[in-house]
Amino acid sequence: MLRRHPWILPASFLLLPLLVYFTFVILPTLNSLYYSFTDWVGYGTDYQFIGLANFEKIFSDRLFSNAIRNTAIWLGLAMTVPTLLGLALALGLQGKRTINTVYKSLFYLPICLSPVIIGIIWVWLYSPKLGIVNLFLRGLGLDQLATAWLANPNTALFAVFIAWAWQQTGLNMVIFLAGLTSVPAPLVEAAKVDGANTWQTLRKVIIPMLRPSTVVVLALTAINSLKSFEIIWVMTRGGPFNKSDTLAVFMYSESFRKFKMGYGSSAAVILFAMTLIIIFLYFRQTARADELYD
Amino acid sequence: MTEREPPTPNPSPKMREGLQGPNPVFAKSKRGESDQGNWARRLGEALRYGALTIVLILFMVPVYGAIVTAFKTQAEVSAGGYWTIPRSFASENFARVMDPDAGNLGLYLGNSLLLTIPASLLSIGLGTLAGYGLGKYRFRGDGLLFVFIVAGMFLPPQIALIPVFRLMNDIGLYDTLWAVIIIHTAFGIPICTLVMRNFFQVVPNALREAALIDGANEYSIFLRIMLPLTLPALAVLATLQFTWIWNDFLWPFILTQRAESRTIMVGILNLTGQYTVDWGGQAAASLIGSLPTLFIFIFFQRYFIKGLTLGAVKG
Repeated sequence: MLRRHPWILPASFLLLPLLVYFTFVILPTLNSLYYSFTDWVGYGTDYQFIGLANFEKIFSDRLFSNAIRNTAIWLGLAMTVPTLLGLALALGLQGKRTINTVYKSLFYLPICLSPVIIGIIWVWLYSPKLGIVNLFLRGLGLDQLATAWLANPNTALFAVFIAWAWQQTGLNMVIFLAGLTSVPAPLVEAAKVDGANTWQTLRKVIIPMLRPSTVVVLALTAINSLKSFEIIWVMTRGGPFNKSDTLAVFMYSESFRKFKMGYGSSAAVILFAMTLIIIFLYFRQTARADELYD
Repeated sequence: MTEREPPTPNPSPKMREGLQGPNPVFAKSKRGESDQGNWARRLGEALRYGALTIVLILFMVPVYGAIVTAFKTQAEVSAGGYWTIPRSFASENFARVMDPDAGNLGLYLGNSLLLTIPASLLSIGLGTLAGYGLGKYRFRGDGLLFVFIVAGMFLPPQIALIPVFRLMNDIGLYDTLWAVIIIHTAFGIPICTLVMRNFFQVVPNALREAALIDGANEYSIFLRIMLPLTLPALAVLATLQFTWIWNDFLWPFILTQRAESRTIMVGILNLTGQYTVDWGGQAAASLIGSLPTLFIFIFFQRYFIKGLTLGAVKG
């Protein structure tokens, strides 16, 4: 039985964490909004409040629209490829058989690696002469397909994306596997008894039941995509010719390479706004899922 | 979410037993059809595991490449034997990247430990306090406060990058490990609060009330009764926070500069810049940098996976 408590009791537990959270998370977030209206250059206190000038400028900046385009391509790929692959792996590996447990563990493995290390490893895989991707293609006699994956403007973004998806797939599989444990076995068996084949059972029973997990996977994927910086920075630094420059990389380069911190802040604010939209959609979807299943 | 989920029997093995197992009644009743079903099912199984195995092999290529390269000499790598099994199992790559006069990874490993351990402990500690305050007490606005804290989980670090960079400069902590410790502590509070609040919510209140009747005060209840119960949740958070903070690159990249305050991931990336063609060294460094999180992965996988899905499903 919970009753209302005098505020002093919870406050004595909450004060310290809230203070730290407010000072180092909330305040900086609000500060970014403020800087996005200034022309601060990264040092000194001599800067002006310039209103919406940064935003006016950014929407006519070709590098920015390029970054938005790359981010959109990335998001489109990210929502589909690792999601479907993660789902397929989860469906194939559910259950407690030894072989399933071993396979699952190996598919999880990339989750515990740093994006920096994943980036470094994949750079060798894509190496034009000795990389296994090209060795493999040449071995198949497809020499004309072999290219310098990360230096070729047409392939760089996709090559980096695949390295990123290598990690994201395992994470998605974990979430789908957790979701699958809540699909009641009798329901699946009932469908089979009623004569549904595997595909029908999947389409009509399992996938609808996995809806909450799917929503989580899509939301997490979108948020992770928007903020992922490290793996791109390690593999291409956004190049060649800004072809793999996403919003997160653009924000970093403008702020910390060109020292346009006010301008960079406006990019960060736009990134933040996009995240907010995803969070909003996510909460609306989960609310709907709750209505369905409660 | 913290209660253990009831073990749901997986339908497929059960049905497989029913169809394939030595069950004459079942076989007879189906009259020959079962033989066909049996074959179809076995073929399906074989195809399924065949496909899974091919995907797995493709999946493991990068890991294999990193391991074999780490043990090869420079000469062996340049000879084109990048993907073959190493002939000599040389340890010189490891020695070179650890050498203070070359790769100097020893220093960066130490720095990363000095960063990761305190930041994990502090974020878990603060999250436990906040989680207890929100999970065990009702007060005006508690739900809103909870959402306000948990929302921090979704914040892209980019939104705080510039102000934190400036703040750390202003308070004189820029280019120290303290700056990174503080920021990881603060950014870890949302997930830790979420997990601990959900945990405390399912701890029976009778425990607390009995202790109150026995004359214990609220703080000794928290310390003596509640905290010992939280060990499983703490283990989940410890694996999660350690892995994230250890692997993080962006914050130390922004907030530190000198080698003395460099973390392992920043150090490894620097190394690849200095030794662009030294694949063996890069591979050895990558293995060394992954050892602590691989250790967690191997020995505490259960907790780690639990944490991933907790954060994900509830988030």
